[in-house]
Amino acid sequence: MAIVQTKNLSKVYNPDTVPVHALRDVSISIEKGEFTSIVGPSGSGKTTLLNMLGGLDKPSSGSVWVNGKEITSMKESDLIDFRLYNIGFVFQHYNLIPVFTAHENVSFIMLLQNRSKKEIKERADELLEEVGLGDRKNARPVEMSGGQQQRVAVARALASEPKFILADEPTANLDSTSAMNLLDIMSRMNREQNVTFVFSTHDQRVIDRARRVITMVDGAIHKDEYQNVEETKTG
Amino acid sequence: MYLKLAWRNIWRNKRRTLITVSSILFAVVCALFIESIERGSHDLTVENMTRFHTGYLQVQDFRFQDEPSLDNAFYYDPDLFDSIEQNTEGIEFTVPRIDGFMLAAGEELTRPAMVLGIIPEREDRLNSLEGRLIEGRFFNDGENSAVVSRGLANRLNVAAGDTLVLLGQGRFGMSAAGKYFISGIVQLPLREMDNQTVYLSLSEAQWLLSAEGYITSLLITPETAGQVSVIAETLRNTFEGTEYRVLTWRDMMPELIEALEFDKAGTRMFMAILYVVIGFGIFGTILTMTLERLREFGILLSVGMKRIKLATVVFIETLLISILGVLSGFGLGLLLIVYFHINPITIGGDGAEYMQDMGFDPILPTAIAPDIFFYQGSVVFLITLVISLYPSFKILRLNILEAAKK
Repeated sequence: MAIVQTKNLSKVYNPDTVPVHALRDVSISIEKGEFTSIVGPSGSGKTTLLNMLGGLDKPSSGSVWVNGKEITSMKESDLIDFRLYNIGFVFQHYNLIPVFTAHENVSFIMLLQNRSKKEIKERADELLEEVGLGDRKNARPVEMSGGQQQRVAVARALASEPKFILADEPTANLDSTSAMNLLDIMSRMNREQNVTFVFSTHDQRVIDRARRVITMVDGAIHKDEYQNVEETKTG
Repeated sequence: MYLKLAWRNIWRNKRRTLITVSSILFAVVCALFIESIERGSHDLTVENMTRFHTGYLQVQDFRFQDEPSLDNAFYYDPDLFDSIEQNTEGIEFTVPRIDGFMLAAGEELTRPAMVLGIIPEREDRLNSLEGRLIEGRFFNDGENSAVVSRGLANRLNVAAGDTLVLLGQGRFGMSAAGKYFISGIVQLPLREMDNQTVYLSLSEAQWLLSAEGYITSLLITPETAGQVSVIAETLRNTFEGTEYRVLTWRDMMPELIEALEFDKAGTRMFMAILYVVIGFGIFGTILTMTLERLREFGILLSVGMKRIKLATVVFIETLLISILGVLSGFGLGLLLIVYFHINPITIGGDGAEYMQDMGFDPILPTAIAPDIFFYQGSVVFLITLVISLYPSFKILRLNILEAAKK
């Protein structure tokens, strides 16, 4: 069964004045364990599609299914809960809670899920170890580099044990080494823990590491292809 | 962790938090100080008026309030009133007085005067009158001497040691005339009284006014001001069916009550303007905080934080800021109020004249009353809470995508 699926998804902004077709009849299906890049030029609809997959935006027509549930017709309050348990987000600007330490940022999502203190602590420790920040768990975002912050963001996204992770331009603000380091971590988690990742990106390094690349042009899927990826470890 | 998040968030932008706390602190201090000054000056006025003029409670002949004439004086039976004093709970002591209007003359000048016949020891217990002597000494009971208030002494151009002549009408139209040695000059806090009062001993005044054994009023001093109503009620029951009538200071000085209410209305108006100005100041900082953090709110909602939880966290932040502001306002306000209670502000120049014309002392002591803190603290706190609903309201209506893009 597909983890996430769209059926004839369309999005038109300003339908009554100057219509802008951000998405045109997009139907895709992403299986568990995929490592998928959505690529395309600016304005091609990558981010809009990602927002639809994450339940952050409503389509003009069509539907989005996550883990067998249609999310496009869900009430907003149900959708917030649904996102909390099913979808992890990694943002371009990291967007950690600035007053929390790395450990607290990772723990916070689990707290929203009402997990036990013990479980929250253990899993946050474990995730920070996995992203290589076991020794930085008490650092606040302002005390970390961009790469470290983005690794915390990945750990945070994983903390809720989501069905898949949406990453919007995750390497756009990172230097080359940090970007490759982050990609290594995400590839490893994908490979070892079968975590499903969906990226929107311009970054060729991300595209090169993706096993599936969906290319969008003018809001429609132009190409959807699988590629062989040779795993490399950098940094 | 939500409390931790809220607490750390308020210190995330220390300057903004300090500005907000300072706005609230300023509001609380201003509100406390203004009300405390108003209450203090009103209390002082009431105290002066009651101590020097009417007392907290009076027993009169039932006709005297409508027709304050010596003809409506009543027989002062010391045994009866001492027994009532001893048997009525809350009465500290009583002060008999007889008063009448006469002409007072010095060597060259004549002025109208209110002649008050008093028992010096009791009067002193009521209002520390002897302590207000600025010249000479007080007379003993029964002594053929007078103590003149400073304003009247100035008008008559007399001083201690001079002679004062009193001329007028006694009880039931009897002519009244007497010559007195001025034993002292006393300064009274109420200008109207200071300009027209002559004190004689009770027995001397009764003789002068042909009213031996009679008084016009028996002032009753309660142990505490809060007991006035209870004592009045008890005495009204005691005197039911007699010719005695019991009046409280509120019954006797309706004009004063009106003046105080008028003054309070002005203060309330000023406070309302202050609340609005300060409310907008606080709203400005809360609005800035909200707009600065819209993106953060959007992200938190994206990752699965419920709107109501986020709104609660932000509400807790503003609540904590409000509590900090109000408590620090209480601290600073208390210090100021205590300082100005001990060292009251003295008004000079035209302001003093105006205040005296209105019947107020030209000093502004502050009142230390817990209810002022409770009331003003609550008002400012409520204003802040209402303002702090704005970010919560904004969060509840936030478009996640729009916010996350900011």
